[in-house]
Amino acid sequence: MAKDIYMGEVSKNEEIQFDYFLMKVTLPLSFADPLPGQFVMIRIAGLHDPFLSRPISIYSYTRGKSNCAIELFYRVVGKGTQILAGLIKGSQVEISGPLGESYTINPAKKNIVFIAGGIGVAPLTLLAQHLCKTVCHDAATMTFYLGAQTADAVVGLDHLRKYCYKIFVCTDDGSLGEKSLVTTRFQKDIKKYTPADTAIYACGPKPMIQSLSKMLDGEYFCQVSLEERMACGVGACVGCAVAVRDEQGQKAYKRVCADGPVFDLQKVIWE
Amino acid sequence: MKTKQMKSDAAMMVEIAGLKMKNPVMTASGTFGYGEEYADYVDLNQLGGIVVKGLSLKPRLGNPPPRIMETSGGMLNAVGLQNVGVEVFIREKLPFLRKYDVAVIANIYGESYLEYAQVAKKLSQVQGVHALEVNVSCPNVKKGGLSFGSDPKEAAEVTRRVKDETCLPVIVKLTPNVTDIASIAQAVENAGADAVSMINTLTGMSIDLQTRTPHLKNITGGLSGPAIKPVALRMVWQVAQCVSIPVIGIGGIMTAEDALEFMIAGAQAVQIGTANFINPCATIEIIDGMRSYLNDNKIKNIKDIVGTLRT
Repeated sequence: MAKDIYMGEVSKNEEIQFDYFLMKVTLPLSFADPLPGQFVMIRIAGLHDPFLSRPISIYSYTRGKSNCAIELFYRVVGKGTQILAGLIKGSQVEISGPLGESYTINPAKKNIVFIAGGIGVAPLTLLAQHLCKTVCHDAATMTFYLGAQTADAVVGLDHLRKYCYKIFVCTDDGSLGEKSLVTTRFQKDIKKYTPADTAIYACGPKPMIQSLSKMLDGEYFCQVSLEERMACGVGACVGCAVAVRDEQGQKAYKRVCADGPVFDLQKVIWE
Repeated sequence: MKTKQMKSDAAMMVEIAGLKMKNPVMTASGTFGYGEEYADYVDLNQLGGIVVKGLSLKPRLGNPPPRIMETSGGMLNAVGLQNVGVEVFIREKLPFLRKYDVAVIANIYGESYLEYAQVAKKLSQVQGVHALEVNVSCPNVKKGGLSFGSDPKEAAEVTRRVKDETCLPVIVKLTPNVTDIASIAQAVENAGADAVSMINTLTGMSIDLQTRTPHLKNITGGLSGPAIKPVALRMVWQVAQCVSIPVIGIGGIMTAEDALEFMIAGAQAVQIGTANFINPCATIEIIDGMRSYLNDNKIKNIKDIVGTLRT
C-alpha cells in the first residue's frame, strides 16, 4: 500500500482575481513528488454536500524538511469550488494524490510551445517550471500563448514570467494583449515551429482544444490536459470517460483520471 | 491482546451460501474496479469480498460522456457497463486478484439468457472466482438488464440458466425500480438463487437550468450514495422477512453504523459502493468500526445482530 488520504492544512487561500483563488496546502512528507499535469482530489472531511471530491491540478509544489506544500489555482465555478474558496487559513482538507498521468517530456523536442485558455494556465505553469529545472530546456526555447475571454480571466501571468520569457497574451475582447483567440494567435506563428523539434502542451476549454486539434491535424507532438466530471479519481468508477483511439485505432472510452488527464491530442476523438 | 484480536476476528467471519468471508464487508460492483485500482489504498486481504465490475461476454464500450453527476447526498451514473469482457478479465485481471486471500465475486451481465449462461460458464471454469453475482438490474443499458430484473418470471429464468452452468454460489442483484421487490426476490429464490444482494441504483435524473439539457448524456442514470440509504434499508428489511436465502445489503453505506443498521434489518453481509469514491479506505474503516461495536457492546458474533430489529 503506497497511497493514502492525507490530511492537509490550508496555509493560504487568496482571491488573486475575481473568482480565481490560490490555495496553498501543507502536507506530510509522505506525499509523493507530483509531476506536471498530475492532480489531487480535495474534499472537506465529513462534508457530504457537495458529495464528491474535486479534482484540481497541481500548480506548484515545494518540499521542506518537515513537510511539503502544494498550490492549487482554481476558479470558482460551482458549489464545490465556492466552499473551497471560503476556507480560511488553518482549515483541514483531505487530499488524495498526486493522481493521473503527467505530461511526457521529450528532450529531442527543442522548441516548447504552451497554449493555455484561462485557468488552463495552472498545470502548464508547473510544466514550464519543471522544464526550466531540468537540463533539457531553458526559458529561451519556450513560448507561451495565454488566452482568455477578457482581461479579468487572464491569470497567473506574474508567476509564469519566472519560467517563461516569451508570453503572448490575447483576449476575445482585446481588453488585454491582442484581440484574438489564443489558437488563432498561435496559428500566425505556426510556421516558426517545425514538427520534428517542437512539443506543444495545451490546457483549456474544450472548444480551444478542439480547434487546436483541427489546426495541428496530427502533424505535431501535442499533449493536452482534459477535464471531465469525476467521482473516484483513481479509475474505478469509469465516470470521467473521454473518447480516444486505442492502440488498434478503435474508439474506446478512457478514464481522464487514471489514463489521463494528459492525452496525446491526435488520439482524442471529438464526438 | 493478540488473542483478543483473533477472537474478534473470528467474531466477524460470515458464510453466505457456502462463500466464506473474513467479515461481512464486500465492495459493490462498479465501485471498486477490478480491485487493482484500490490496491494502493486498501490491503485487499482485509476485505470480506471483492465484487468486480460487471462482466459481459464481449467487451462493452459503455455510454458516451457525461456519465456522472453529483446530487444532494449522492450521485447519478450512467456508465453503461463499460467493461473489458469476460475473457480479458480472466486473462488480465483475475491473476492479480488471485494473489490475495479474499473472496472474489464476479458480477455478470448478459443481453440474453444465453449470454448470462455463457459468461457464467466461462467464469466457473477458472481458478480464483468464488461466487457469481448476477446483475439483472442495470438501469443504464438499453437492452436486457432492467427488464430481466423487473419481471419475476424473467429474473427467475436468468437465475435458472446461470445455476445450470455453475457450481459456484449464485447471488442475484436486485433492482429497486420495481413495484414489488419482494415478489422478485421470492421468484429468484424459487429458481435456485443462493442469495440476493440489494439494492442496485435508483433511476433518476438531473437537469442543467441554463441549457435545459440533462446533465447526463444518457438522460437518466442510477442514483447512489447516502441519499438512497433509507430506501435500501426498507427494502432489505422487507425482503429479509419473506425469503430464507441470505440477503446482502447495499445502498448508501458510508460508515460502520450504516452497515450495522442493514444487518439489524436482516442483511447477513453488506456491500460498500459509492463511499469508496470519496474515501478509498472506507471499507477498512467500516470493518474496524463494526469490530469495535461488537467489542463495545459485548456481542460475541456479528451474526448475532442479523435481523434483530425490534418493532
